[in-house]
Amino acid sequence: MNLDWLDAFLIFGAFKVIEIMGLGLLVHLQLGLTRVANFGVVGFWGLGLYAFGVAYLKVDWPFGDVYQFLICAAIATIVAAAAGLVVGWLISDLDDDGTLVGTLGFATIVVILATTQQGLTGGALGLGGLGFPYDFGRVKTHEFTWLLITTAVVVLIFVYAWRVHRTPHGRLLIAVGANEALARSLGKSATAARLRMMMVTSGAMGLLGAMHGVMVRSLEINSLDVSVTLAALAALILGGTARVFGAVVGVLLTVALFDIVIQFYIPIPDGWNTQALPVAREAVFGAAIVLMLIFRPQGLLGQMRRPALMRRLHGDW
Amino acid sequence: MTGEDLRPQILVRDVTKSFSGRVVVDVDELVLGDVPVEGLLGPNGAGKTTLMRLIMHSIPLDGGRVTLSRPGQRDVVLSATRTSQMAGLGVVKSTQVITDFEHLTILDSALLAVTEARYERPFAAAADRAVRKRHEDEIRHWLDYFGFDDPLAVALSGGDKKLLDIVRCLLLQPAVLLLDEPTAGLSEDHTERVKSAVRELAGKGTSVVIVEHDLDVIWDLCDEVIFMAEGKVLLKDNPATIRANPTVVESYLGAGSA
Repeated sequence: MNLDWLDAFLIFGAFKVIEIMGLGLLVHLQLGLTRVANFGVVGFWGLGLYAFGVAYLKVDWPFGDVYQFLICAAIATIVAAAAGLVVGWLISDLDDDGTLVGTLGFATIVVILATTQQGLTGGALGLGGLGFPYDFGRVKTHEFTWLLITTAVVVLIFVYAWRVHRTPHGRLLIAVGANEALARSLGKSATAARLRMMMVTSGAMGLLGAMHGVMVRSLEINSLDVSVTLAALAALILGGTARVFGAVVGVLLTVALFDIVIQFYIPIPDGWNTQALPVAREAVFGAAIVLMLIFRPQGLLGQMRRPALMRRLHGDW
Repeated sequence: MTGEDLRPQILVRDVTKSFSGRVVVDVDELVLGDVPVEGLLGPNGAGKTTLMRLIMHSIPLDGGRVTLSRPGQRDVVLSATRTSQMAGLGVVKSTQVITDFEHLTILDSALLAVTEARYERPFAAAADRAVRKRHEDEIRHWLDYFGFDDPLAVALSGGDKKLLDIVRCLLLQPAVLLLDEPTAGLSEDHTERVKSAVRELAGKGTSVVIVEHDLDVIWDLCDEVIFMAEGKVLLKDNPATIRANPTVVESYLGAGSA
């Protein structure tokens, strides 16, 4: 495959867009449907990243590359899902503020563990040695292939989120998020519904973390900063938390704008890419959240359009 | 044994509840379900709604015990049961305050009430239409009965939300139905429909308990009336006797109402 036309940094920029889109879709299920304000996205994602990396590097697997990746990615998914279950249980009786602080606390614990458990994680220095589960020769080809694989995974997450809206499971999540007491009075276990949702979405966040590890081929403590959570939340709030396409539109207007359009297609002074732009990016994302919450809290795409969806699904009623 | 003996009953024994040191419910012994439809009367602050919430265990009891007794089945201690398990046991309560699920349509609400837990798991393969197919007749019956012209819309008015709440309760096919001011804010026509629905349900064996400030509903519908004041059950008798009782007239109905 001749990829000379493609800039290696553009591949990584596109990977970030796809990755945040996946996280945004998962946050949509948590916040948009079930009203669980998860401010610890980076914790679940980072747990998946580090669980994958540690399993990949510290265990002497008797398998080839593909199987080693699949097993380690499965471990990352399961570990993050288990964390989602535990965190979900701990925050099950908390209000929105408590949930926000609780999930933020979980993310902080993950960062602290990743920093202090040097024997396993390499601590602040990190660990190298992760690799792609295939060998085609050129690094750029590997990275582009990994971008396509990750895109396929995020497409699956999108299809799942899209389908959730059309199933009794989605209806239950909306009901629990909108009026938990009323849902309980109808015999619905709000806690069980939330725990299942947290387990599935956190597991998927862990899987995306593992896929990130393969792309960057190392464990770096700097990757566990708040920018991951901020990017996913900013994109979703901008696009609209209650709409599946909210995360897609939001990521295109935020992460894609900064990490692809401005970085590659807008002539900016040398040095800005590595210094001023990342800082400006975080500031703009934060400002976008504040402004949207003040002036258009439902996001650009607006409220959930349940009647329109129900007419499509049950138009013959 | 008469047919009435076979009704599901709720036994309230030594139940107390206080808020900020003030006793709002203090019931030594009360059996609900002796007759098909019972009314719960009393002035504001008598503890009627709190008693219902205690039965549903949506607020914890300070003391005492609430037990569900169903013919041919083991008794269940409701005061040790989670609220979300009540509907599964057949104990269902309508809400006093008008409330609904934001965003969900009327049909959504009805489908939510009837959907079994196995269809609500994250990867349950059954499509929404499969659930609809299983329960379409009953949903259509009650939505048509209460005159919901467009079930694919969101309930907007207070009256529609109130009726939808009752529809959800009816779809759960309750053994014991607690209705907290079910006709408040409804038109005369809808009030009559609610009364007919209650009669139909009670005729099929459901024990119904109603808290209602519209006394015509109570006198017209109830086989027995319980009068509460200051958290205590003071009287339990047929409507005519309660209506003529001097204590009830003096503290609740007012002179000239009998």
